[in-house]
Amino acid sequence: MKLNFVVNTKKYNLDINPALRLLDVLRDHLNMTGTKEGCGEGECGACTVIMNGKAVNSCLVMASQINGKEIQTIEGLRKNGEMDLLQEKFVEHGAIQCGFCTSGMIMSSKALLTENPSPDDEAIKQGIEGNLCRCSGYVQILNAVKDASSAK
Amino acid sequence: MIKKNRYIGRTYPIQDAVTKACGEQIYAGDMKSPRMLYAKILFSTVAHAHIRSIDTSKAEKLEGVVKIFTHANSPAKKFNSYHFFAGQELKEDERLFTDKVRFVGDRVAGIVAETEVVAEKALKLIEIEYDELPVAVSTTQALHDDGECIHEGGNLIDTKELNVGQATEIIAKSFLKFKDTISTQKVHHGAMEPHVCFVRYEMPDEMSIYTPCQSAFAVRNVVAQFLGMNYCSLRVVKTTMGGSFGGKQHVILELIAAFLAKETRSDIRLCYSRTDSILSTITGTAMEMEMESAVDENGKIFATQVNAIVDAGSYLANSVDLSIAAGKKLFRTYDIPNLSYKAKTVYTNTPTAGGFRGWGAPQITTGFELHVENMARKLGMDSISFRLKNLVKPYDEERLGRFSLGNARIRECLTLGAEAFNWSEKKKKSGKKGRYARGAGLACGGHVNGFYGKIQDCSSMILKMNEDGSFILNTGSHDQGCGTVRSFMQIVAEVLDVDIDMVKVLEADTQRSPYDTGTFASRVTYVSGKCAYNVSLKLRDQILETAAKYFNRPKTYMAIKGGRVYLKGDPENQIGFGRLAALSQSVYENEIIALETYSNVSNPGAYAAHFAEVEVDTQTGLVRVVDYLASHDVGKAINRGMVEAQIQGGVQMGIGYALTEEIKTDAAGNPKSTNFSSYHLINAPDMPDVKTLILEFGGDDGPFGAKSVGELAIVPVIAAVMNAVNDALGTHLCHAPLTPEKIIAAIH
Repeated sequence: MKLNFVVNTKKYNLDINPALRLLDVLRDHLNMTGTKEGCGEGECGACTVIMNGKAVNSCLVMASQINGKEIQTIEGLRKNGEMDLLQEKFVEHGAIQCGFCTSGMIMSSKALLTENPSPDDEAIKQGIEGNLCRCSGYVQILNAVKDASSAK
Repeated sequence: MIKKNRYIGRTYPIQDAVTKACGEQIYAGDMKSPRMLYAKILFSTVAHAHIRSIDTSKAEKLEGVVKIFTHANSPAKKFNSYHFFAGQELKEDERLFTDKVRFVGDRVAGIVAETEVVAEKALKLIEIEYDELPVAVSTTQALHDDGECIHEGGNLIDTKELNVGQATEIIAKSFLKFKDTISTQKVHHGAMEPHVCFVRYEMPDEMSIYTPCQSAFAVRNVVAQFLGMNYCSLRVVKTTMGGSFGGKQHVILELIAAFLAKETRSDIRLCYSRTDSILSTITGTAMEMEMESAVDENGKIFATQVNAIVDAGSYLANSVDLSIAAGKKLFRTYDIPNLSYKAKTVYTNTPTAGGFRGWGAPQITTGFELHVENMARKLGMDSISFRLKNLVKPYDEERLGRFSLGNARIRECLTLGAEAFNWSEKKKKSGKKGRYARGAGLACGGHVNGFYGKIQDCSSMILKMNEDGSFILNTGSHDQGCGTVRSFMQIVAEVLDVDIDMVKVLEADTQRSPYDTGTFASRVTYVSGKCAYNVSLKLRDQILETAAKYFNRPKTYMAIKGGRVYLKGDPENQIGFGRLAALSQSVYENEIIALETYSNVSNPGAYAAHFAEVEVDTQTGLVRVVDYLASHDVGKAINRGMVEAQIQGGVQMGIGYALTEEIKTDAAGNPKSTNFSSYHLINAPDMPDVKTLILEFGGDDGPFGAKSVGELAIVPVIAAVMNAVNDALGTHLCHAPLTPEKIIAAIH
């Protein structure tokens, strides 16, 4: 199936098996391995990307659903070699340990801050409730998102 | 004058934080090669059966299928996934692909195909006929006289005993005694990265295995021995770890993938799904414990006896070792003059148990801390003063192994933690008010610092100085995502007084690194960290010796500061590290390089006291942990922020252990928890703000006085939370996890 879509501002027109998941398209067709698979059923959030402004689990989006869509992945956050403020704050606050949840966590936070630039603690927790982290108690992650928001 | 540390004790991000934040860090699952094939495993769907027939012909005809392996065309030879050092004696009871399935999730066939999609299709085309056998999902069923043998020799694998004094006799004669029965469940590690391995096959018969593991040398030993390869021809490279917590300690995927690579002479990628990772790797061990203690009128426990049953699941792995480890950990935190521990280890038709954060300590501590709390309540004593009558003191001798517990500061953890948590005020608020009940609970816990006193416990490292004054520390260590590499960078930078960014730390690669026992028993900071410290001292000495030649003065005249050597009293007379390394090569024809092998010399206790406040909804049975404080005796924090993060992560895992997490099976052995929708990890909205109190008394043999923390962080959590729930409800619930069903049943 011919699919037209945009990933990180670049346009793609590819012949892709529509039964694949967006996660497979990113990882296997575009070699963007920053998006991770943790459970394959939308429960852990490691594969979160932003599609038309909303955070989605890319393991639950079929390739057939991405036609005409604009997708942003973790690889697209860095602009001209400069990290996004969220990425900087995740590093600065020690919000990264094993790093496997990090891409999804940052993408969920990015979608949250785009919609609500000054979330309170509860709103941040709700914004990342679909993202599991096993290394931390979420404290550093909350602090990083708060520091990257305009509510700090 | 005490020198102020430049690097030790500060907070640094994990060393690869930037590439992780940008999605550019490569994990094993991201690795590819042009001639890579995909492997998939077919797992059994019944819990106990002989395979009558297995027909792979339809699957083999599928285009893109390269080869399929079953018990019929793979070695009958057995292995044990816990074989991690040379000379270790362990019963081997596991095959690559079994002819008799022992749990739902047992490996039946391995498929190698050109694509993952084809491999998955092929899985569904394999036809198996089973001759089903009676199933034992509990240790009681397995130990019943009529129980079907899961392995030859019966379901009781072993019985181990540890004894100090005359506990049984004393308890029999005592009047004031208390008895409790406690159990903990099978749990999943929940590392976000599912289990994965990538093998590169190289002609004529060499292989490289890329794996997120806890001991590359263990992987090498198991694989090379099983496949009959030379250790020098098998390269095992530790990849970025996407979380392990003990789960990736056992050698399972690496052996299967290496076998498939060797047979097909191809590169192999083997990636387990979440369900496979939960059921078909290893689980945290379920334990049943009966505890009885005799107490004198002042609240001193003078005898305790424990009867425990360890559920090994369907294969041995390390369960007998765990039964001993759990018992030994009883002797670390409380000083009980008469203590008797007896543990049976039993096969069941459930997922195999193995390594897990704390290994035996979360279980035995949960048991004992619930028992202690129950005794305190019945004696009318408060939780803290009863414990203070019984906890160990600094430099006490551990009564079983007769070694020093070092600067054991559990008492300070408890008293200072209680103050910081506002414990007595919180206790006053306990009880039910309308629909919600509040309660506060605490628990103490201790843990080890390496294997000293048990088995080999050594690390080797090579440190060299480059011609620009930068350093490379070559280790056989494994950063589990908790900052080992960064800690080593801090240690080297501190000892050599050089910019931390001038230090590069390499991790395990069995062809290129010196040997390391591996990431077990909370030994990394305490033992490997000390090796990093010692090798830095050795290199420092070489730097001074080289400078002595340059300055033509004795080395005692030299001092090091900021990456330079200068003459004491004449700081202008100096030479930079880089120039010195270059001179050493070109003029003195010598490389500045040091090798150190360090073997652990002690095993002090690391301690923690944890405090939880909960709110129980008496209508739904749901528990919310509303406040939490973890007070830890860490000796010395090397990377302070990472210590806090480790503790908070342990608390998150422990709250799940106490309330929601369980790998359950039904009576037929069918798993009920197969993904994160049916196995609940605690997410951000359900986590309290976990406060930490980090106590640094030093005094032991770790680098700069540091002791272990990462495993210990989960040890007291389960009991602290369960004690808080019991405090809220006035119950004595002793079987983890405290699910809403159990809580509602207890209320009504």
